[in-house]
Amino acid sequence: MIKRIAAAIVGIGVAGGVGFLAYAWYPAIAPVAPPPPSTFTAAQIERGRVLAAGGYCAECHTRTDGVRGVELAGDYKMDTPFGAIFSSNITPDPETGIGHWSEAAFKRAMRKGISRDGTQLFPAFPFDHFTHMTDEDIDAVYAFLMTRQPVHSVKRDNTVGFPFNIRLEQAGWKLLFLHEGPLKNNPKQDAEWNRGAYLAEGLSHCSACHTPRNLMGAEKAGAPYDGAPVDNWIAPPLNDHNPTPVVWTEDEYFKYLRFGSAPLHGSAAGPMSPVVHGGLSEMPESDVHAIAHYLAEIDHASTRVSQDPKALAWAMKASMKDLVGPQVNPNAKLYAGACAACHANAGPQPVEGRPDLALNNALWLDEPTNLFQVILRGIGTTEGISTVSMPSFYHSFSDADLARLATYLRATRTTLPPWNDLEKKAADVRKTLPTPPVASSH
Amino acid sequence: MTTFRLNGRDVTVDVPDDTPLLWVIRDEVGLTGTKFGCGIGMCGACTIHIGGRATRSCVTPVSAAEGADITTIEGIDPEGNHPVQQAWREIQVPQCGYCQSGQIMQAVSLLKDYPSPTDEEIDAVMAGSLCRCMTYIRIREAIKKAAANARGDASNG
Amino acid sequence: MGRLNRFRLGKDGRREQTNLSRRGFLVTSLGAGVMFGFARPASANQIFPLDKALPGDGAFEPTIWCSIAPDGEITVNIIRAEMGQHIGTALARIIADEMEADWSKVRINYVDTDPKWGLMVTGGSWSVWMTWDVFRQAGAATRTALVEEAARLLGTTPDKCTVANGIVTAGTRQISFGDIVAKGHPSHSFTPEEMAKLPLKPASERRLIGNAEIKALDIPAKTNGTAIYGIDVKVEGMVYARPKMPPTRYGSKVRSVDDTDARKIKGYERYLIIEDPSEVVQGWVVVLAKTYSAAIRAADALKVDWTPGETIHTSEADIQDRGRELIKNRDGGVYIFNDDGVDQAFTSAHTVMEQEYTCASVLHYQLEPTNAVAFEKDGVYEIHAGNQWQSLILPTLAKALQVPESKVILRSYLLGGGFGRRLNGDYMIPAALASKALGGKPVKLILTRSDDMQFDSFRSPSVQRVRMAFDGSDRITGMDYQAAAGWPTGVMAEVFMEKGVDGKPYDQFAIAGGDHWYEVGAFRVRALRNDLAEKTFRPGWLRSVSPGWTSWGVECFLDEVAHRQKKDPAQFRLDLLTAQGRNKGEAPDSVGGALRQAAVVRRLMEKVNWGKTTLPKDTALGLATTAGQERGMPTWIGCVAQVHVDRSTGVVTCQKLTIVVDAGTVVDPDGAKAQTEGAALWGLSMVLFENTEIVNGLPVDRNLNTYTPLRIADTPEMDIEFLPSTEKPMGLGEPGTTVVGPAIGNAIFNAVGVRLRHMPVRPADVLRGLQGS
Repeated sequence: MIKRIAAAIVGIGVAGGVGFLAYAWYPAIAPVAPPPPSTFTAAQIERGRVLAAGGYCAECHTRTDGVRGVELAGDYKMDTPFGAIFSSNITPDPETGIGHWSEAAFKRAMRKGISRDGTQLFPAFPFDHFTHMTDEDIDAVYAFLMTRQPVHSVKRDNTVGFPFNIRLEQAGWKLLFLHEGPLKNNPKQDAEWNRGAYLAEGLSHCSACHTPRNLMGAEKAGAPYDGAPVDNWIAPPLNDHNPTPVVWTEDEYFKYLRFGSAPLHGSAAGPMSPVVHGGLSEMPESDVHAIAHYLAEIDHASTRVSQDPKALAWAMKASMKDLVGPQVNPNAKLYAGACAACHANAGPQPVEGRPDLALNNALWLDEPTNLFQVILRGIGTTEGISTVSMPSFYHSFSDADLARLATYLRATRTTLPPWNDLEKKAADVRKTLPTPPVASSH
Repeated sequence: MTTFRLNGRDVTVDVPDDTPLLWVIRDEVGLTGTKFGCGIGMCGACTIHIGGRATRSCVTPVSAAEGADITTIEGIDPEGNHPVQQAWREIQVPQCGYCQSGQIMQAVSLLKDYPSPTDEEIDAVMAGSLCRCMTYIRIREAIKKAAANARGDASNG
Repeated sequence: MGRLNRFRLGKDGRREQTNLSRRGFLVTSLGAGVMFGFARPASANQIFPLDKALPGDGAFEPTIWCSIAPDGEITVNIIRAEMGQHIGTALARIIADEMEADWSKVRINYVDTDPKWGLMVTGGSWSVWMTWDVFRQAGAATRTALVEEAARLLGTTPDKCTVANGIVTAGTRQISFGDIVAKGHPSHSFTPEEMAKLPLKPASERRLIGNAEIKALDIPAKTNGTAIYGIDVKVEGMVYARPKMPPTRYGSKVRSVDDTDARKIKGYERYLIIEDPSEVVQGWVVVLAKTYSAAIRAADALKVDWTPGETIHTSEADIQDRGRELIKNRDGGVYIFNDDGVDQAFTSAHTVMEQEYTCASVLHYQLEPTNAVAFEKDGVYEIHAGNQWQSLILPTLAKALQVPESKVILRSYLLGGGFGRRLNGDYMIPAALASKALGGKPVKLILTRSDDMQFDSFRSPSVQRVRMAFDGSDRITGMDYQAAAGWPTGVMAEVFMEKGVDGKPYDQFAIAGGDHWYEVGAFRVRALRNDLAEKTFRPGWLRSVSPGWTSWGVECFLDEVAHRQKKDPAQFRLDLLTAQGRNKGEAPDSVGGALRQAAVVRRLMEKVNWGKTTLPKDTALGLATTAGQERGMPTWIGCVAQVHVDRSTGVVTCQKLTIVVDAGTVVDPDGAKAQTEGAALWGLSMVLFENTEIVNGLPVDRNLNTYTPLRIADTPEMDIEFLPSTEKPMGLGEPGTTVVGPAIGNAIFNAVGVRLRHMPVRPADVLRGLQGS
């Protein structure tokens, strides 16, 4: 999910001047001998393990393309418009990892985005969020990482070309967009809100994906949580611009973030799946509640929730559309034959495990991207609801079929204007799958 | 390597990740009650349960079943006497029988979601299960019979 | 028409007159093994109930059709394919009833090919009709032999014995069939003449025939995954195969093959270019792999360059235009009826009415894609597959493999749908040839759905031209019926073609139904063979064959005439079903003739309160009636469809189908109902839901994403009734299909006044009609 942040490597090219250079220049922090495990307490390491999960360290520091790399040993490939970036090895291997990093060096990286040797880090590494973490938490993550098995692993070289490979440029970016330091407590809000804000804005960096970015790849200050494209998916708006008919309440957020599925919205798929199953699943339930609480405040759920019964009733009616009695519309036939067995709901509310499409995020977004992604890829047991699986219709449907299905669902299961150019969009999404997920026939 | 539970037993298979679960179940494990029909997830003959939910195995890669609890037609009842199977025999539903494993698996799942299904619910949930012999009238009747049997309706006992 | 039961394919493919009922009849006791010369573990899979096995030593085999074991278990040999009709159960009832067997001890055994079985074909709704006499006589012979031996064991004479439910009773003493075999040595041989004279039970004493309580023996296995179909066959060491299909059905030649990408697929082994001496399979390449999944992917990855056949650009419209051209030309074609005076009736007619009716291509989409396992063992090729016409494909396989017919054996399996697709066994050929190329190694070849549909033997599109002559008082004086289509029998089983009144061979399955039972004055029926259709694809027999589309022309046309004459369409038909001349019927198959069809129509009118109901706006009833599959084996049937037409969308909804059938004696009442339900819904599917179109030489639809057969929600309410009868049983697998299309077409006219002459009915056509009217 972090790949799109990589777009943020474009910094400020020529800010110029000695002052800037002075600002941008950081000294190397002297290498230290790898600290022995006894340096850290078991409680600290455990706390760090949970935090590392909640910050999805392993998601971006483990190779997934071609071969599956050792966890945290880096070399995860991030494609950006400027070239590929490969993440670094954050196991405590002295030579290829962070074995020689002192706690201070690690903290500087987390707070300022500066490597131990003084070079600027690309903001693909979300230090603009990690900066908000407390010293205690950063230290715990350090403790956790430094007690992992060192893995000797050299990452591939970045292919980002000139001038974007000039790391100094990143300094300018920080000047504009980095708000360094731990998040301040908001006394007007309760402790749960503040905890949620700390996690969402800091460690778990939700807005990194869910807030659109400006031309320089920084989150747009004026549009927090407005939703944005990410890794060929769409991270939906988390504020009240979210178009689903039923509101994302705290309860829906909690179920989604904890179990991978919100009964009235859908399942966690694509880049969101590891957030739930690889990350938040390790966090205490109270922390997930806190995030849900915070996000529900962001989307003003409490002021909108009264609309839900009406919206739900509408959706349940839409869910059965064209499924009862004879039907000759070819698009309705396509839906009935391929989808209805698992997605039709007779109401009064969706049956658990029957994600309803009239309520689903994917149908209500401005683009059909997520719908096509899910249909083409399916959702395995390690994603979404972890005990069940949705098949991949990659070979089942042509792009024309996908377009028909999307047209039909948008028209019958939402109240929104039609999507356009669907066949091409289906083809574009299909191209983003490196290999067909299933070796089925047509 | 993928590991899952199949009809209550742990199974580990060494096949490419993208292999459709259908062929793993039929050819690697050797349970042939699950059938190949359309190959695109639109006829329902390959329906199995993953985590208790009806799933089209012909388009589900084996990798998507990692750790899953899978049930096939051979596993819904040790004696083949699941209430739905009984109703199927009472009503004499199958003709050629080829789609019927899938129909039964889908019907079992339907009854879990809607224990007393209406015609509308049957239409919607069974929509993806094609019967070329067109035993639909009996499928509908047998589903209602199974539901009644499960409720213990005296009139249908 | 349709005397197929009298013939079977001889070893040299010649027509050999061998009446099934005249087969030698040996009554002798044999040990196991000798009795069924094909002991194999897999055979156990085709015995039902499934927990039963073949009988052991000491079984009494009074005929080739059944055996009685010392434990009393009775095995009935079934040479028909099981594809949903529960045919084994139906046929076993006939022999067991006549034998007075204990039904609980009856098991059925679906046999492999062997010349001793005679013609092995399952189609045309023939099975019960063809077996009725043979099995009753075999049952009687068995009973006679057992009673004779029982009398000996009980120290009495046969005339003092009674027999019921597997027990022979003489006074106070009893002995079971099993004990007769275990303790005695029953033996008696009958000449065919003697057999024919054996007394048969009167209808009133039948316990199994017509018994509605009996359940189908094959059904339990079809509810728990244990039923074994062709696709389930597993043979030690087999390799999986998927064909790579050429761009045209015929005439494509492989120019080059590049398997660079296929070699990247794990499990891919190699490809084979199939050279088929029987020329059925032209230009196919077969991909071999360790798993079927790998074969699927490798076939996709294999690059084959073909020189396509000449039909690469042929369309459905081209084929239909060719049909029209053939009809227009007064030369050519074959006359099935050509009464004196037809031309005169038309030249002297006061008015002539003429219409053209067309029907689109329809695919089988039997749910189990075609497949076969082939291997060579001890010089014999074994082909394991579900098939409907073993006697037809076996000689072709021998030709393809270039071995004598005696070196090919077909193992029988359940069919995941037949519907006529598996009358054509073409799918066995590439499996057999691939195995041969690998030195006899077992090859399991499965067509994916799109492979299967691309080269389906589908129902040919057809054109019918129907004309009627009327005199000055609007009396019908003549009828001229012509139909052009691809001829499946012409292409695949030429020796089975019937001869017309002009002595020329024609495909009865491409014209039957045109030769109806109405009184229409001088009558001409001409069948035209659409050569372009046959060049483009391999026309197939599809459920109900021609009566599935000739009825569209005949029954819609009759309705048009009735409306034109301002007569009630049902009464109009009754007035023409008077059983005169050739329509009076003949024993034993069509006793009563057209009057029985009239009786069906009358009962139908009663049931639906014909002409006396008021339905909501744009809703109406429509009626159609046929004699089922063929004049030689008429199943009298009628259907009333209730439809609603949505004037804004043109969508036609069928709300209810009421069907009345007179099929003679009904052997299996529940099975008969099931067959009629399925057949009628197939008819409904073809008129409202499914059809395809030939584009660039191939059917355009390849799977359910675009091919849309009837599903559960499309199923209307149904009311099916069988008229009681003790006449010879006729067929039931297909007649239900024949009546639904025209009943819907006629109902649409009654609902909104739009007459549709193309099947399927498409909303756009209805809308066009509404705008025009």
